[in-house]
Amino acid sequence: MTITLEELAFRLNDHVTDEGTSFDALLMDNGVLEVVCSNNDEFPLHLAQTDTQLLAVTPLFNVSEVIPNEVDNLNKVLLQLAPAVPLSAFGLQDDTYILFGAMALGTSFEIIVHELEVQAENTIDVLEAIQSLLA
Amino acid sequence: MSILKDIFTAMRGGASEAGEAIVDANAIRILEQEVRDAESAIAKAKQSLTRLKSSEIKLKREINSLNTDYDDYEAKAIEALNMGEEALAEEVAGRLEEIATERDEKSAEHSTLESEVNGINKLIRSREKIIQKNKRELEKVKTIKEVQKATTSISDNVAATSSSQHRVSKALDRVKAKQQNWRDNMEAGEWMDTQEQGDDLDARLKQSGLGGSAGSKKSSILEKLKAKQKVG
Repeated sequence: MTITLEELAFRLNDHVTDEGTSFDALLMDNGVLEVVCSNNDEFPLHLAQTDTQLLAVTPLFNVSEVIPNEVDNLNKVLLQLAPAVPLSAFGLQDDTYILFGAMALGTSFEIIVHELEVQAENTIDVLEAIQSLLA
Repeated sequence: MSILKDIFTAMRGGASEAGEAIVDANAIRILEQEVRDAESAIAKAKQSLTRLKSSEIKLKREINSLNTDYDDYEAKAIEALNMGEEALAEEVAGRLEEIATERDEKSAEHSTLESEVNGINKLIRSREKIIQKNKRELEKVKTIKEVQKATTSISDNVAATSSSQHRVSKALDRVKAKQQNWRDNMEAGEWMDTQEQGDDLDARLKQSGLGGSAGSKKSSILEKLKAKQKVG
């Protein structure tokens, strides 16, 4: 059963995980679902769908926020960190560094919730790890 | 054609600026056209496959019936020979030859049809492979498009605040402060629980006549006051 973003928003707003995380989900005009997890309300996740996948994108920072001369170093560190966060991947969209995860469209609500919670948590871990390279 | 290579080329060419289509729209149209072509080719192939299959079944049935006829006449020829009817047996042998020729012709036709059916099945499989491959390629394009959309809608928010120095550090500090606060609350909750359990224990002790009671404390103070009064 494929869950629509509307349905997902509706259920997320009414859900609390075992770890006590709650969600604030808002469907935006461009069809992207913004989800704020209570365990990390500073870096919201943005959810979008393709024909087969549910994509979760968390923008981290702009390349202009990296200490000049440290960009190459940062890219290397991110590649090295990548295997440690196997469920989320790093990416660069235009000038924005992102953390993103992809799930099959048929993924159950419980698993989606878990993935979102983990991605929100991973965001903090990753940013803490590379904080010294940011201006 | 590989979409990833297209994306790479587009990025090297600096086409990843916001709003600019990262993959050539023409490449997408070609992929979609290929999917449509492959789908209509499969539909046609399936139609002719049905026709070929029915001819094949018909031939197979005819061959079976010829085989039965052959066996029948062969038995009759042997019977004629046993009865010493040499001329009749010879006539039957002539008939057997006709049946065998017809059967061989039909068998040859049947195996040609069979290989045609196999060929069409192979064609359908290869077309389906193209469809699957192109759909995966198109999925990559759509993924890039959706990620771009999802990032852009946040980037606008980020851009609004990114002018401030140490934006990420500040946000991290706020998140961590909130998490600490949450942990403190949890701890406070646990402390309250133990306190409440403790109170309960005190109450139970009191009920069993163990431990000091406010009443007895009051009376002991009164005793002391009385003692002081006597001295004074």
